[in-house]
Amino acid sequence: MHGLFRWSRKWWPGLVPLAVLWAIAAWTSTEPLEADLVARSTAALKDTVLDKPKIAVEGRDISFAAHAFSEDGRRSAVAAVEAVPGGRLVNDETGLVPEATPYVWSAERDVVRVTLGGSSPLPASKGKLLEAARAALGGVEVADQMNLSRGAPPRFDNAALLLLDQIAKLKDGKITLSDTKVSLAGMARELGGREAIAAALRNLPEGYLVAANDIRAPPYIFQAYKDPVAVTLTLTGYVPDNTVHASLVSAAGRKFFSEKVVDNLKASLGAPAGFANAVVPALGALSRLSTGTLVVSDREVKLSGDALYEAAANEIRAGLGKDFPQGWQYKADISVKPAAAPVDATVCQQLFADLLGKGQIRFESGRTDIVADSAGLLDGLIETALRCPNANIEIAGHTDTVGDEVSNQTLSEKRAQAVADYLVKAGLPANRFMPVGYGSMQPVASNDTDEGKAQNRRIDFVVR
Amino acid sequence: MAYLATFFWGWLVASLLLGLAMGWIAVVHRGRVVSHRVSWWLAALAAALVGAAFARIVPGRPGYWLDLGLIMCALYLAGCAVGSWLRDWVVSHSPPPA
Repeated sequence: MHGLFRWSRKWWPGLVPLAVLWAIAAWTSTEPLEADLVARSTAALKDTVLDKPKIAVEGRDISFAAHAFSEDGRRSAVAAVEAVPGGRLVNDETGLVPEATPYVWSAERDVVRVTLGGSSPLPASKGKLLEAARAALGGVEVADQMNLSRGAPPRFDNAALLLLDQIAKLKDGKITLSDTKVSLAGMARELGGREAIAAALRNLPEGYLVAANDIRAPPYIFQAYKDPVAVTLTLTGYVPDNTVHASLVSAAGRKFFSEKVVDNLKASLGAPAGFANAVVPALGALSRLSTGTLVVSDREVKLSGDALYEAAANEIRAGLGKDFPQGWQYKADISVKPAAAPVDATVCQQLFADLLGKGQIRFESGRTDIVADSAGLLDGLIETALRCPNANIEIAGHTDTVGDEVSNQTLSEKRAQAVADYLVKAGLPANRFMPVGYGSMQPVASNDTDEGKAQNRRIDFVVR
Repeated sequence: MAYLATFFWGWLVASLLLGLAMGWIAVVHRGRVVSHRVSWWLAALAAALVGAAFARIVPGRPGYWLDLGLIMCALYLAGCAVGSWLRDWVVSHSPPPA
């Protein structure tokens, strides 16, 4: 031992080459060592969910900065870095992801892109939302401005995914989720989009509610055009469903006695309330015009065209009757068709026969009230009567053989009188008309069939 | 430590070999010796550096260089001790010169 101590006093010359070795070792090894520690630390954090992890190594000291999503996650991440072999010190610069109150997430759509903003709880859910947005929106650009924050309400992902599906149905607008309250604003891409979104929102996860839904939809348009040259009524636009579709087409068939109905209607959601109640009387008014266009846009009914005579124009301008629903607007731009040239009695008779050959004046069953569907036909008859002002006209009422003869006789007389009253009310002199009832005495077809009976129930105009 | 040993075994072996050589020479070398006073100062300096290394008070790269230097130094000293002991053993067991 004493020898060792004695020898050690002569070891010092080796320290000089040792110092050189040390300097070379320090010079060449520092950077590879640091790179190796960065790689090992990064690998140690591979399975830990962190926001903005940053690892810097100086010598063997590891500076570790990151935002964790929970205190446990933060501690385990720091422990994982501390366990990296070769590390000397870990400078813990970690913290928790900020908590958002209220927790707001939004999706905004404009012409070119959809921007996702606000907070999302985890990188995984953020990725899921972006992926879902890209899938739901086809080729539309998706911009990500989402931050990561803690404090998301339960089932946040499900709610946000459902709302992303709705943004696909918008042309432009914004959907905001603030805590558990959903606000929507914007314009739906298609008719019925508003209703489709409202229906989908019923599937929001439990606890979520719609605070404001200001989604607008494109106007709900229905159009009808009466073309006197082609003798057609063209229906275009939308109807709420197949039932309303069928009832509108059948109403058009009844009101437009000579026109062929061209049906180009499509069924779509989004019709304003009272749609059928507004459109049916509007079609009735259109049927009284010689040519005209009916445009129904949301709750606005616009009718334009030429009435056959002044009194009809005034009636049409006045409104669409008691069945026209509340909250709807009616705008009529009605002019009067120039009076046709007068004709003699024979031609007049021919014109009456032509009109009544195409359609019959119809009454409520067993009663003397003229149904509204016959307004167009009556206007045609009145216009014809105006063309032969000197002709006296017998208005002949006929019935079928159902019921007893006396009541049929009375009914035919009263119905003829009702028609005469209608004509007088339209401005024609009462002395030109002779209402006569013939009961079932002058059938024009067999009373054995329903068809024949229908032909026999009629009003004829006979020029005397 | 094990990590450093595997990472830099080349430098550490070099220090050890240098120590062995120096220890081997020191036994028969007739050069200058370090005085007692300087020895104590060197021992105190070494103790202070070891203390600083264990207390981890030197930050970043200098801290690493200190660790590296101390390990190399320790292996050098170990090499010196083994080298001197071997040389001494060889010298005491060899037949005296004729």
